[in-house]
Amino acid sequence: MNIFWYELKAYRGTTLLWTASLAGIVLLMMAMFPSFAKDADAFREVLQSMPEAVMKAVGLQLDSITSLIGFYSYIFTYVTLCGSIQAMHLGTSILSKEGREKTADFLLAKPVTRGAVFAAKSLAALTLLLLTNAVFFGAAGLIATAVKIASFDFGIFALITLSLLLIQLVFLAIGFAAALLLPRMKTVLPVTLGTVFAFFIISFIGASTGDGKLRYLTPFQYFDRSYIAAHGGYEPEFLIASAVIAAVCLTYGIVRYAKRDVQAT
Amino acid sequence: MAVIELNGLTKTYGGARGVTDLSFTVEEGEIFGFIGPNGAGKSTTIRTMLGLIYPTSGSARIFGKDCIEHGPEIKKEIGYLPSEVFYYDNMRVKDLLNYSASFYKKDCAGRIKALAERMELDLTKKIDDLSLGNKKKVGIVQGLLHSPKLIILDEPTSGLDPLMQQRFFELLEEENKRGATILFSSHILSEVQRLCNRVAIIKEGRLMALEKMSELKENTYKRFKLQPAGQVAPGAFAIPGVTEWKQEDGEVSFLYKGNINEITRRIAELDLRNMWVEEPDLEEIFMHYYVKGA
Repeated sequence: MNIFWYELKAYRGTTLLWTASLAGIVLLMMAMFPSFAKDADAFREVLQSMPEAVMKAVGLQLDSITSLIGFYSYIFTYVTLCGSIQAMHLGTSILSKEGREKTADFLLAKPVTRGAVFAAKSLAALTLLLLTNAVFFGAAGLIATAVKIASFDFGIFALITLSLLLIQLVFLAIGFAAALLLPRMKTVLPVTLGTVFAFFIISFIGASTGDGKLRYLTPFQYFDRSYIAAHGGYEPEFLIASAVIAAVCLTYGIVRYAKRDVQAT
Repeated sequence: MAVIELNGLTKTYGGARGVTDLSFTVEEGEIFGFIGPNGAGKSTTIRTMLGLIYPTSGSARIFGKDCIEHGPEIKKEIGYLPSEVFYYDNMRVKDLLNYSASFYKKDCAGRIKALAERMELDLTKKIDDLSLGNKKKVGIVQGLLHSPKLIILDEPTSGLDPLMQQRFFELLEEENKRGATILFSSHILSEVQRLCNRVAIIKEGRLMALEKMSELKENTYKRFKLQPAGQVAPGAFAIPGVTEWKQEDGEVSFLYKGNINEITRRIAELDLRNMWVEEPDLEEIFMHYYVKGA
């Protein structure tokens, strides 16, 4: 447990910052909803003049954008982008820390198994993400209730909000795997940003071309918000895809972490 | 009882050499020196014993248990000071030591305080702000705070000033009297000489020699350099044990191995301006083992 508490404390600051940013985004953007809804017709006209591919790429849906859920779905694209960066950065950083700060000789010379270290670190990361999501959920729920014009389906709102956590878990696992791919991970941020943006761009292209198979390639497309709004649930095949990716990355992480040689300083 | 047993320990990194077929034992209560030049494989050996890296073949046993299989169990009784000390930077010394202590199921608060006082280490400072020597002290306290039965030190004295080094050695001697076995790696033989009972000499990943310190001292050469006032008769030092005789620019130098009284008697007959007697450096000792091994 001491490693768990230590890691929680070590990432307290960054997690606080990320949580504040995510809550900030949702508060700020949702605050614009009332004025946006008031001028809905004028806005719709502007949007109609835009090419369809662009609309799809940025995730705008003409018929739903003026509803609260529709608007929320739209801004959620950027929430998930930020959340993914947070999650992957956390995953990569927490596992590669010993290599980067050369503290492996400290931690792994202690009477703990590598499995226990991995477990403590991943649990700490999970806890931090859960905390982030709890705060985000609260902030999003509050602002949505405050700015609503008509009543909205809270169940769907909750499902959309919860998809942040699910995408974050996938990226956390990807981060774990990324941390262990190289013998010594020195640059967490470039690797994180590179990976997340690559997936985001694939998502962008996939959405604008409407290519169904491309959707499997990027976690950003796993939780389609118009599907959630229409069906009141997640698409099972993509839930499975998320679970498979997370499981594969996690297993790889556990095995590599236990077996690899820790690079000499 | 053997505290450390290495059996044909081999570690290769890809194609690169780490250590090759290393076998020796360290007995309980010994202070054991592990000597070799930089890159000889000292750290590789130590890090294998601690399970930081896995052996390619062979095995290492500590307290009679395989150090991979029973790693966490044996590490309860090991204190380790890495050669380069890096600790989580944004921490205070006190926090790091408490974190370190939290891995052992004992109360170490008193020990931390006593050790820090001994080593003159300020517990409230941030690790970031510490000098190399002070970081080393953090490492020392960290390695000793749980009163381990086996203390493994990888080049522990670099960065310590002579006074601290002295105190550190005293500390180690006390730990040893208490019953702790100590493995001490170094590339400086003279440093080890004072403390160690036995030494293993390693070069290019292979064990060159395993000797009692007392024998090693008897068997090693001394380098003499004389500046005589007059001429030295060619036969003046023609006794067994004198090698590499050189005479130039009014200076005489040679290596000597044997009874020291014999040679001083000869030197006493000369009228000298100056004289130097040096311990041969490590390289020369290695040369000696090279020759012996060839």
